[in-house]
Amino acid sequence: MRFLICIKQVPDSTTRVKVAPDGTSVVTDGVTWSISPYDEYAIELALEHKDTAADTIVSVISVGGPRTKDALRQALAMGCDDATLVTGDGADALGALGVANALKSAALELKPDLVLCGKQASDDDQGFVGAALAEALGWPHVAVVTKIAPSAGGTEIWKETEGGHEVWKSSGGAVLTVQKSAKEPRYPSLPGIMKAKKKEIPERPVAGLEDPVKLEIVKLEPPPARGGGKIFKDGDTKAYAAELAKLLRDEAKVL
Amino acid sequence: MPPTTGIGVYILLAVALLGFGAFAYRSWKLYRYLRLGWNEDRTQHLGKRLRDELVIYLLQRKLFKRPYLIRGLAHAFIFWGFLVITLGTTDLLTAGLAGLRMPGAESAFFVWAVDVFAALVLVSILLALVRRAFFKPPRMHIALDGYVILGLIAALMASLLVFENAGLAAGYLALHQAPPPLAQLLPLPYPAGYAASVFAAAWWVHVVTVLGFTAYLPQSKHLHIVTTLPNVFFRSQRPRGALRFVDKIEEQETFGAATLRDLSWKQHLDGYTCTECGRCSDNCPALATGKPLDPQKIVLDLRDLLLKEGDLLLKDPAATGTPPAHQLATKPEELWSCTTCAACVEQCPVTIEHIDKIVDLRRYLTMQEAAAPPEAQKAMTNIERAGNPWGEAASARGDWAEGLGVPTFAENPDAEYLYFVGCAASFDRRNQRVAKALATILQAAGTSFAILATEETCNGDPARRMGNEYLWQLQAQQNIETFARYKVRKIIASCPHCFNTIANEYPQLGGNYEVVHALQLVQDLIEQKKVTLGAGPAETVAYHDPCYLGRHNGIYEDPRAVLDAIDGVTRMEIEPHHRERGFCCGAGGGRMWMEEKVGQRVNHRRVEQILDAGNARGAQPAKVASGCPFCLIMLDEGVGAKGIAEQLKPVDVLELVAARLDHSRVSKEQPTT
Repeated sequence: MRFLICIKQVPDSTTRVKVAPDGTSVVTDGVTWSISPYDEYAIELALEHKDTAADTIVSVISVGGPRTKDALRQALAMGCDDATLVTGDGADALGALGVANALKSAALELKPDLVLCGKQASDDDQGFVGAALAEALGWPHVAVVTKIAPSAGGTEIWKETEGGHEVWKSSGGAVLTVQKSAKEPRYPSLPGIMKAKKKEIPERPVAGLEDPVKLEIVKLEPPPARGGGKIFKDGDTKAYAAELAKLLRDEAKVL
Repeated sequence: MPPTTGIGVYILLAVALLGFGAFAYRSWKLYRYLRLGWNEDRTQHLGKRLRDELVIYLLQRKLFKRPYLIRGLAHAFIFWGFLVITLGTTDLLTAGLAGLRMPGAESAFFVWAVDVFAALVLVSILLALVRRAFFKPPRMHIALDGYVILGLIAALMASLLVFENAGLAAGYLALHQAPPPLAQLLPLPYPAGYAASVFAAAWWVHVVTVLGFTAYLPQSKHLHIVTTLPNVFFRSQRPRGALRFVDKIEEQETFGAATLRDLSWKQHLDGYTCTECGRCSDNCPALATGKPLDPQKIVLDLRDLLLKEGDLLLKDPAATGTPPAHQLATKPEELWSCTTCAACVEQCPVTIEHIDKIVDLRRYLTMQEAAAPPEAQKAMTNIERAGNPWGEAASARGDWAEGLGVPTFAENPDAEYLYFVGCAASFDRRNQRVAKALATILQAAGTSFAILATEETCNGDPARRMGNEYLWQLQAQQNIETFARYKVRKIIASCPHCFNTIANEYPQLGGNYEVVHALQLVQDLIEQKKVTLGAGPAETVAYHDPCYLGRHNGIYEDPRAVLDAIDGVTRMEIEPHHRERGFCCGAGGGRMWMEEKVGQRVNHRRVEQILDAGNARGAQPAKVASGCPFCLIMLDEGVGAKGIAEQLKPVDVLELVAARLDHSRVSKEQPTT
């Protein structure tokens, strides 16, 4: 079985993002870049499959500039078999449909049985590329997936629902967008890291790809600074409770 | 007058050949097993090694640790007796075989010494037998082996005394100026003519027992009487707090102890030397709180695996055998329970290196198999990405110092000291107060210092102790490069883990600095009157020894001296778990970031010990002071869980000092601001 995992490189969740002076982008200086967390869960899902079925091939792909290679190497270190970078001038500026088109052309060549993406990227939270890729390939799409399991003539796909799971079955190619699951993405072994360092990462040109819809960021704003909060000190607990209820109802308007 | 004439010599020769032959055969086998280990160089520091041999081996220094003094003395008498009697035995054999006497063998002193020590050994052996049979020490591993050995030694001593005594009766020894003083006190109950036969019989019993003992020795744990000599000689001369460096790590093919070949020959010698005394286990905080770790068992499991698979590995150079970390008996959970507190290493009378083994096995699990516990993996990912194990924003590292007038090195490149703040004091709110306290003290003393703020990154200690040598090297190199950029020479650390790894481990990567722990520096500043402390209320403060300050670096006195210098403070020792027997808070060895679900939490036990010590002295302390951010976090959690946070306040000694700073005498010139 062959997996294609589509990943995006984003500012690491430990990084404090600052809006750049132009008001439409973020400061990239001093930012640590890593694989978007849901994409890491997608990788983990495929690697778990590989742990049980040795003939599994896990390919990973990303669209972006030269530093995107670090994200691909991280995926290789975790245990993915090969990586492809779609790059070139304008790779970073590609819109969601453009990215989906880039992934589609690679997918047609690599012929995966399943394509996995994170359910959304942690930077812009659009959750668009996976669904768009399914549409472009003409494949079915299952969202918020937490588990896959081989079954006779296809794959069982567990989709999270409110308080439970739906189990789907796919008999052919499908695009799955992956949710956080109980199994944390694995930490790479050192032999894995060393092997990943030496691996060739082939590149595909971004040039000539269709990017039909251009979205433009008009303005970025940091969230408003948090207020000081209120601390009740010295006094009657009962009175606090009444006061607290009043404030929650009238001021915070959460009751 | 050995009773070996005629055929007797040949019988003795045959028995001696059998005894020594069996010894040699087994020893050669054990030696070849041992050499399956990799060839670690342990020949440097000859002077220190000879000194260890004198102090630890000959003077038995490590046997007299506090709780084991009486037992230690009993052992020492057996040991010293053995040394003397071995000389006597050698003399007996050479005399019996070739009629050669050792020079001085007939001197009054030697005869006296053999006789007196034989009696001392006999008494000690009887005590040891009684103790084993009726007062079994809690964690001592009682097996038949121990009884066999004690029985053999008792037989040796008894037969020695009998043949001396019968020798006197038969008139053999009467020729000497000085007969054996104790043997001659015994009655001489032999009818005329029998004394010679008793003498001959006892002599033969003695000699045959000696040779039987020799043959049995390498099959038993009693082998330590042979292996302790080299085991002490070749013990690690690294600072105790430094783990073994893996050179050219990127060129290795496997990492950590994947097979028995990946443990060094010295690790295997440790296994042969273990006497199964159980002192390591007795002092292990993990074992004491119901974790699956038993340090003695780790040592013995590795030895048993070597004895079991040694032949297989010798026969086939390509064979790997069972990975030691997977050995049926040694489960990964055992390895992950270790806090690297060094209580085992501190106590081991024969200098076994428990932590090195545990870390080598962890290295295999973490780097080779990527099988560290998930929380440990998360902490390592955080160190990689954010430069701290909690995953706090790297850009916020210097935020604690805002508005305090603490310069960064970028602002004041000429500062004398670098204050290496560490992750805990940079990001943990409770510990930020400790960093602020130190900054205030240094400013008051007029000490020139600066911090690195966002240019600082985790020193790597948690990663290294979780078995991730590679990540430790990356972190260390990054810091060393930053230090070099600012030409840093002197470093202050308020965290014993930062202190230990920078002082003892960075030299492995070429980073050599003058490193002090904050409490050492503050002690100096108080002594030099650069810091003066005002009056304060009377209160009792218990001192908790952080493992990486105390046992790993021998810093017991400075923190105590600082506490003693604070007006009104009465220092309390957490007896008996203080100084070198200090009990870990549970956070070391990367345990800070791992869940602790099995048994009692180590920090809860520690709080109970403080309360017990308070009860024993009839008054509870108001505070428990430490010098380590992780101890502080753990103690805070401990008193919280016990619901006594109001009665027993965990603090850092630095906070107590900062609160008493006599600001009226603060120097007006502050080069740091």
